[in-house]
Amino acid sequence: MDQYRLEKVSKIFDRRLVAVDGIDLGVQRGERVALIGPSGAGKTTLFRMLNCTLRPTAGRLWINGDEVVTLHGKRLREARRKIGTIYQQHNLVPRLKVVHNVLAGNLGQWSTVRSLSSLFRPVDLELANRALRQVGIEEKIFARTDELSGGQQQRVAIARVLMQDPEAILADEPVSSVDPSLATVIVKLLIEISQKTRKTLLINLHGVDLALAYFPRVVGIKNGKALFDLPPDKVSDSLLEELYSGHLPDNQENGLTDEESKPLVYQ
Amino acid sequence: MRNPSLSSISRSEKSLFPYLFGLIFLVGFLDSWWRAEVRPLAFFEKEGREHLWKFLSGMFPPDLSWNFLSLMLHPALETIQISVMGTFIAVVIGFPFGIIGTRTFSVGGVLNEADVKGSPSRFVLRWSGYVMARGVLSLFRSIPEFVWAFMFVRAVGLGAFSGVLAIGVAYGGMLGKVYSEIFEGVNYRPLEALQSTGANKLQIFFYGWLPQILPNFVSYTLYRWECAVRASAILGLVGAGGLGTQIEISMRMFDFREVLTILIILFFMVAAVDYISARVRALL
Repeated sequence: MDQYRLEKVSKIFDRRLVAVDGIDLGVQRGERVALIGPSGAGKTTLFRMLNCTLRPTAGRLWINGDEVVTLHGKRLREARRKIGTIYQQHNLVPRLKVVHNVLAGNLGQWSTVRSLSSLFRPVDLELANRALRQVGIEEKIFARTDELSGGQQQRVAIARVLMQDPEAILADEPVSSVDPSLATVIVKLLIEISQKTRKTLLINLHGVDLALAYFPRVVGIKNGKALFDLPPDKVSDSLLEELYSGHLPDNQENGLTDEESKPLVYQ
Repeated sequence: MRNPSLSSISRSEKSLFPYLFGLIFLVGFLDSWWRAEVRPLAFFEKEGREHLWKFLSGMFPPDLSWNFLSLMLHPALETIQISVMGTFIAVVIGFPFGIIGTRTFSVGGVLNEADVKGSPSRFVLRWSGYVMARGVLSLFRSIPEFVWAFMFVRAVGLGAFSGVLAIGVAYGGMLGKVYSEIFEGVNYRPLEALQSTGANKLQIFFYGWLPQILPNFVSYTLYRWECAVRASAILGLVGAGGLGTQIEISMRMFDFREVLTILIILFFMVAAVDYISARVRALL
């Protein structure tokens, strides 16, 4: 069954800034796909459409067979609940304790009253604990989130997604703010999680090596378009060269990201 | 390359500006000194010295008789109560107006990209709401609480309630302005992440928005409460109850010893309020 189907999906901000430019893509349930490409190629914007934060300006996008433009209110929230996102900057609430950030993964299932009472007295403490144990930082459960290091915060974000227990995981540059040795560990962790529970895993990566080493399908994105969509052994050096031509891939590891290199528009 | 003569002109213009500005400032400063009748030496002239001495010596010793102090107990309490109720009303006014007056919410829409885009009429509605909220807030705070109290004394009569209203309205305008700046500074990214877990707006509010604004919100509100204690004492001068009314009465009777007593009470009250709000802020 199709997890995602995209037909000529485009996203244009402010009627002139073309972030995503007519992408066709199909992703099967349980598939593992890495997206690579230079900064500003539109990968983050694509992900924000895939998790129902943004809507395509043009083209058609189906999630689980539902076309996203038909989703509103409760059904839209239900669709969002089934997609877990891990962000480059973690996007945790810094002042909350770790336990609340992890339990926030339940918000899609909890009633408003239950979520509010959990802020005073955490419910499902055992579940939060288990999620944190899986990512290896259970001892931080009652720490304040902004006191953790970048790598630890990324683990909290992963624990939040574990809590959410979605059908698909979108990981948007999950490792570009952690050091390289940790990057491999986190990517492996994500793969392990997705395999164990047969979740679809889509990941944006700056590091070409990680993408080629661990993902059976690699999509190259450039200027908002899909340049190639191949298994890793078919991704040739010349293709990579074309993908990054006009860019300096080395700078991107710790340099500008999609989001920072162009103005974000929320309207 | 630019034309060299042009660039030299623009450079000389540039360098002239600070001098011009400095000259205007200097003239303005001296003129203000003169027109505002600033005469520091007045304290040292014979006449001034005598007045000052008469006033100060008239204040000593403060009237610490139990009779007077017990009389002041109720007005002192009333001053605190006016400040608390006034601040409460200010929050009630400032919070909603602050939200409507926050650009990213009312005009941009942080998370409702899909909804906001909709019809132009809704866009106009949001814009006019924003402009109106901003206008009301600046009207409220541009009129001094003293003047508000003057008006409310005529509207609802002498007494504490007119002081409460005066503080509520004037401080509501100030709080609303600062609240909207606090709200403007909210990082939307965690909110977006919460939304993507399927959370509804209220859940996003409690988990993402409130924790981000709470420290600044509480700390600024407490600061305003401190100011309100001082203000509610002053407002008594126009008949809005509290210690100010007592100061006014004692002044009119030329009993400066009582005035000093009241000022001492006020000092300890303000110090206590400062201490309390500092402790609360330390908790955050």
